[in-house]
Amino acid sequence: MTDPPLRLAVAAMGTRFELALLAGSGDLRVAGEAALEEIDMWHRRLSRFSPDSLLSHINRTACCSPVSLDRETYALFDDALRVWRDSEGAFDITVAPLMAGSGFADSAVSARAGWADGRAVALDPDNWTIGFAGPHVAIDLGGIAKGHALDCAAAVLRQSGVTSALLHGGTSTIVAIGAPEGRTGWRVGVASEADTATRTLCNTAMSVSDAWSQRSPTEAGGHIIDPRTGGAVAAGRRAVVLGASARIADAWSTALAVLRRIPQMFPSGFQASIT
Amino acid sequence: MNPPTPDRRTFILQTAGALAGISLVPEGVETLPVLQGPRLKLGVIGVGRQGRAILAELQKIEQVEIAALCDSSAPRLETAAGRLKDVATFGDHRALLDARTDVTGLIVATPTHLHRAIVEDCLSAGRHVFCEAPVAASLEDCSALAKAAAAAKTVSQAGFQGRSNPTYRRAQPLMNAELRQLVSMYAQHHRKTSWRFPGSGPEAEHAANWRLDPEVSIGLAGEVGAHQFDVATWFREASPARVQGRGAIRLHKDGRTIADTIELDLIWPDGIALRYQATLASSYGGLHEMFFGAQGTIRLAWSHGWLFKEADAPTQGWEVYATRQEAFGEEGIVLVADATKLAAQGALASGIGLPHPSLYYALVDFVRSVTEAAPVRCSLQEGARATIVGILANRAVVTGEPVAIPPMG
Repeated sequence: MTDPPLRLAVAAMGTRFELALLAGSGDLRVAGEAALEEIDMWHRRLSRFSPDSLLSHINRTACCSPVSLDRETYALFDDALRVWRDSEGAFDITVAPLMAGSGFADSAVSARAGWADGRAVALDPDNWTIGFAGPHVAIDLGGIAKGHALDCAAAVLRQSGVTSALLHGGTSTIVAIGAPEGRTGWRVGVASEADTATRTLCNTAMSVSDAWSQRSPTEAGGHIIDPRTGGAVAAGRRAVVLGASARIADAWSTALAVLRRIPQMFPSGFQASIT
Repeated sequence: MNPPTPDRRTFILQTAGALAGISLVPEGVETLPVLQGPRLKLGVIGVGRQGRAILAELQKIEQVEIAALCDSSAPRLETAAGRLKDVATFGDHRALLDARTDVTGLIVATPTHLHRAIVEDCLSAGRHVFCEAPVAASLEDCSALAKAAAAAKTVSQAGFQGRSNPTYRRAQPLMNAELRQLVSMYAQHHRKTSWRFPGSGPEAEHAANWRLDPEVSIGLAGEVGAHQFDVATWFREASPARVQGRGAIRLHKDGRTIADTIELDLIWPDGIALRYQATLASSYGGLHEMFFGAQGTIRLAWSHGWLFKEADAPTQGWEVYATRQEAFGEEGIVLVADATKLAAQGALASGIGLPHPSLYYALVDFVRSVTEAAPVRCSLQEGARATIVGILANRAVVTGEPVAIPPMG
């Protein structure tokens, strides 16, 4: 009988991140705490709830002058804008003002900001900076930050020699490292109102966006905003995306829940299902 | 040190009684003045966890160019350099000093016991130095650093961040004006973590876990307590006279000898005490300091601060300019820039913290001191004195005996 996994957790990004660690070459607790610290660090940088986060700093100042970013944060924004382009605007980090208007407004994002789209965000690849087209622009990484934090935490675990682990953020975005001994992967149930489908994950990430999982206080629909219309996505839509990157899966699952189809520019190497 | 965000709502709910809460968010911190001096090339020595946090805050300061990084760990140096554009890297600080004379300021963020030699070399080379706090791990090193700083013609600042934190700077003058008669103090650092870190091999792992090495570690009292003792010392404008306490390994029974839980009493010459608790076994309540007075109580939590006035406390003139609001059934006065506008947006009730971490303000102060000759917020000499209190507090934990703290000017 194998030992139960070591479970560690941290509250971050408005949800609960949990690690289940089974095997590795070093001390699992030490590796797990380093991974949790990585998640907490990204929470502090990317939170729209904290005035002292990097994201709040960007929202305050990027309209006036470009804000310098490190390589990892620049790459995150670059991916976010790529998904915006490739999803025909169905995923959009400039949805923050709309989120504020939808009742999910407990944040440092100013409600006075207007409605822009991804074109209002300028990334400078030569200088690794981000700038906004004007003071009406504000960004919210709610649809991608969890996946990013999980990717970074998984990298820390792998560097620390962990060979078998499952990580999730709020149960909607998951990274599987290796597999439990004697199995082909980690068995994960994806529940809906009707049934529960089981998937087996090994060295991959998965993200689920489900419009009825967290209803807006002011909308009859789900918690996902359609950035193209400003309205809530109808309840009951669900998209599941699997692939090598949790942040890409996170962003695309949101986009596909809005689109209800897989567009031509959906990234190769990723799998998706929409119900 | 990364202070956790306090649960302000819970705190106010628990504390609401006959007290009115006054939020101590200072005026003007949303739009700090643009730095006026020339562009400053800085180097960072030590790019581990704290070094990474420092780099993130330095990137926000337009006037700063991060020109060089230094770390004895090649993998750590490579990782840190990979996050930045066009930065020179060095495995030894002396090589950095020799090769990059254009780097006029250095941030030292190595393990505490390695600070002294590096800071002395930087000051000898005529560079400005920001030394992370605590500044040293022994009384001898504290004394040597204070002497080196006194002899240097360049700026040297210790990283006791409370001194630069706008909320703390707002609160400090209220200590006498609002509390009137201080009766006691309490501070805590609660964080659930093993304080152990991974390394790529036994040698790297041993180096990464210097806080658990009794040969060099100054324990919870020295590493985290010193920051909070310094706040109390600064607010009281006097150092404690003695310290007593105890420590134990309550949770992390993994062979370590450094206590994971400590309790201390630091006693000032007038008999007023700071009761202090630090633990790596519980995160409840996080990090905060409280100053209890006959007319009110100040609670500080790094990104937030409040003044709770007693019902019989007289109204002060400055309260006329404050915004009043109902908070959890009590009328409070909120001190915050643009309070009226924020109230109209509904943002006031949800709680307002500083727009940057404490570390940012400490680094901005350093840049100002170098480029604009602004007064140094916490000199290396002051930092050495604050560190001595932490080291002696750790001695009280280790020995279980009361320890006298010598008068420090």
